[in-house]
Amino acid sequence: MTGRVIVITSGKGGVGKTTTSANIGTALAKAGYKVVLIDTDLGLRNLDLLLGLENRIVYTIVDVIEERCKLKQALVKDKKNPNLSLLAAAQTRDKTAVNAEQLKGICDTLKEENDFVLVDCPAGIEQGFQNAVAGASEAIVVTTPEMSAIRDADRIIGLLEAKEEITSYKLLLNRVRPSLIKSNEMMSVDDVVEILSCPLVGIIPEDTGIITSTNKGEPIVNDDAALAGKAYRNVAQRILGEEVPFLDLDEPKGFMAKIKNAFAKLKAKV
Amino acid sequence: MGLFSDIYNTVARFFRPQEEQGDASKSVAASRLKLVLMQDRTNLTPKILEQMRGELIDLLSRYVELDKELLELDFQQEGDQVALMLSIPVIRAKDEEEIEAALAGVNEEAGVNEGTEEEVDEQSGSEDEAADETDNEVQTVTTPEEMAASKKDEEVKEECQSEA
Repeated sequence: MTGRVIVITSGKGGVGKTTTSANIGTALAKAGYKVVLIDTDLGLRNLDLLLGLENRIVYTIVDVIEERCKLKQALVKDKKNPNLSLLAAAQTRDKTAVNAEQLKGICDTLKEENDFVLVDCPAGIEQGFQNAVAGASEAIVVTTPEMSAIRDADRIIGLLEAKEEITSYKLLLNRVRPSLIKSNEMMSVDDVVEILSCPLVGIIPEDTGIITSTNKGEPIVNDDAALAGKAYRNVAQRILGEEVPFLDLDEPKGFMAKIKNAFAKLKAKV
Repeated sequence: MGLFSDIYNTVARFFRPQEEQGDASKSVAASRLKLVLMQDRTNLTPKILEQMRGELIDLLSRYVELDKELLELDFQQEGDQVALMLSIPVIRAKDEEEIEAALAGVNEEAGVNEGTEEEVDEQSGSEDEAADETDNEVQTVTTPEEMAASKKDEEVKEECQSEA
């Protein structure tokens, strides 16, 4: 079997690369696929925290590269889902401890026995990015509807285009706030897609549930009620080739939303 | 409390004039972003854009009298293709003699044609007239091109449409 290697990248930090990696990985594993998540953010590892695996890490990617352990030994299996495992980053080393060739080697080995290898890329466009991209053939560019994140995403898209190995890249628009878009205070999904001219793989609404899910080390895709969870499950389905319509984020939810909506309509008339 | 501040904000917002509500902020963000991305993607710095603008004015004013103040140069994007849009209000078309004189001046010294400059300045002084003339404008459109493919050497094919 030859699995797909997908890098999750963004340029800018803090837009949700790691959250996206954890959630897409978990969703694909729940759908029955064998998934390995690789954290390539050496020195600033966090994917283990989001998955709740921080106490179970014995070996890291640097141990594998420096041959202190076998690749299989370094893979940490998820608590709930045996289909999902994590190759953690080394916390005590920096990005120069690994090179692109080595990372490509690891991806190539892992894709032999897995359906998906998801590479969580560090922020920036330097060595760490080059390493993370080296073994991938697909990319998901995470951005938010903010100017700085979009500009950085554009830069990343330019770099991805220049890489022959990357055959497809798609945009994941994170932390979308429908109420702000409605009041014209935030660029809409269409605005961002037009500016970046990149196909969409997902729209994730801003969801306070992400904070609590991080607190618990439990990706939000496991929460059936959360809207962001549903959005991430949809992303996983799209990655699997299904056509899933994007969530309608405009739907009024609850009493306050209805009042707000009524006000907005009234105002539009005035 | 969340609920009360929600209600307060909704009510306050309702009474605020439209412009204050950040109506513009989204479109300001979008247009600033488009410009800065063009600069990022093409290596066209604001200085180079200004130079390009100046050279285009020099070139075109050999043939028509333009309103230099109202000249607009910007990029438009459609999909992954980019077009350079140049919108220039034309004050009047030049007659043959003037064009020949301007061209002769260019042939003598590859420089700016000074003959037309005075006339243009006179005209653009009066705003009303300039505004009246704005429907009478030349649009120069470069063919859309793959920005990724050729970043610096912008191939320019011009298409002039004029109602004059």
